[in-house]
Amino acid sequence: MIRIENLYKKFGTKEVLKDINIQFDRGKVYGIVGENGAGKTTLFRCIAALENFEGKIESDLHPLKNHLGLLFAEPYFFSKITGEEYLRLLCNARNKEITDMEHKNIFELPLQQYASVYSTGMKKKLAITAILLQGNEYFIFDEPFNGVDIQSNLIITEIIHKLKSLNKTVIISSHIFSTLSETCDEIHLLSGGAFVESFDKEAFPKLEASMKKVVIGKKLDKLNLI
Amino acid sequence: MKVYWQLQAKMIHRRFKDAGTEPLFAYILILIGFVGFSLYLFYKTSYAEYIYAFLALTLTVKLSDKKKNDFLKTCFLAHELKKIRVLENMITVFPFLFFLLYQQCFLTASVLFLLSFLMAFVNLDTQVNIVIPTPFGHKPFEFTVGFRNSFYLIIGVYVLAGIAVAADNFNLGLFAIGIIFLLVLGFYTQPENEYYVWIHALTPKKFLLEKIKIAVLFSIVLVIPAILLVLFFYREQFGLILLVMTAGCFFVIYMIVSKYAVFPDEMNVIQVLFLVVAAFYPPLLLVLIPYFFYKSVHRLNSLLK
Repeated sequence: MIRIENLYKKFGTKEVLKDINIQFDRGKVYGIVGENGAGKTTLFRCIAALENFEGKIESDLHPLKNHLGLLFAEPYFFSKITGEEYLRLLCNARNKEITDMEHKNIFELPLQQYASVYSTGMKKKLAITAILLQGNEYFIFDEPFNGVDIQSNLIITEIIHKLKSLNKTVIISSHIFSTLSETCDEIHLLSGGAFVESFDKEAFPKLEASMKKVVIGKKLDKLNLI
Repeated sequence: MKVYWQLQAKMIHRRFKDAGTEPLFAYILILIGFVGFSLYLFYKTSYAEYIYAFLALTLTVKLSDKKKNDFLKTCFLAHELKKIRVLENMITVFPFLFFLLYQQCFLTASVLFLLSFLMAFVNLDTQVNIVIPTPFGHKPFEFTVGFRNSFYLIIGVYVLAGIAVAADNFNLGLFAIGIIFLLVLGFYTQPENEYYVWIHALTPKKFLLEKIKIAVLFSIVLVIPAILLVLFFYREQFGLILLVMTAGCFFVIYMIVSKYAVFPDEMNVIQVLFLVVAAFYPPLLLVLIPYFFYKSVHRLNSLLK
């Protein structure tokens, strides 16, 4: 469980997150949606304690960060580290022994090559593999499906289902609505740094329809496409 | 073309300012450091001119990076690009050429001039993607990356240690050992992405002690071939070699605590200045290391709660 109470975050005078109150329970998958700049990544960074903030973030395991697998939208890789060494680095950091790495390489990545030469999708798959091997209890996936091929998208979807069945807490952000509707129990809409609406599974079609209406509206008409 | 040079100057100035120093002060410091290093090198060994030319050429290799030059190709006409690259190489090797002429090493200076001119017409893919095996793979990070980035220099230093033995020059052997430690210090100059600190399930103190433990152990692994070679032929100098190795390890520890004391920023000029002063008076490290260790713990508290 992760509980956030009265969370505020400012960058200088700009308020990026306002009065965030939410609880993420075990065995559930939560989707966070919002336009670019809505504050999703900042919220994730606050949960991970990578940012200072006002308010309170509590969890049933302490410290939260030592049990959190964090996937950034654009994972960073050193220039001269192989895929295998990257996995080892992340597992060493959590005192996790990894055995039979090839067997656990479910995305069939070329682990003996430098991770920096991987394609965007391969990098993401490597980063996902690493946080799974760490044996975390909480997961934040910031754009896990971006740049990843269709086959791997299916695997990631199954991974999320598996994590839910293992009673883990999973938070996802994605700009692809179908991936969220397939995996999430709840979706929360973040706008201007605040949660403005929450939807359970039954209300997902309503959320999709309202997002289409707000985001697209009559904008396409302005192009005068013929 | 003028804009290119203005931009380069701006970028250099920004780097100094980001490191918390005035560019003018930094230039003076670099000049003093360069002259000091050059005088020391030429005083210490008769092979100085070759080491010196090699260092200068290494810098031009960096400027020949294919990706960088491919980008410049998209910005400038062919003849402009040639001018830029020749000028860039000449500016880079000029201080080395000047000092070689001052030392009356005319032949080496001429060869360096010619090679650096020719390097302006060469594009090198400096990002070697062949995976170089390292003995540090089970604890990957600084040494894995550092070893792969400078393996050719490390091999060069081992060869230098061999030359020292062949030429019966113990001081050159000690110099080779020192160079290895200097390379190791280089592994710790750049702050890593904060994610790679954050992932550790350790307190700041334990994190730093773990970093120090690995760094000292791996430094010894890296320096041991050169040490054994020199020690085999100069057994009576065991004490002095041990002293150099111990001092080298203390400098590595200083780099680690110094780096994390200002993390995620880069090391500042004061810290570099302390390093230079400690090079002349190593016992200073006994004060500096605990001081920066304490500062590092404080600095890392927010990331490693």
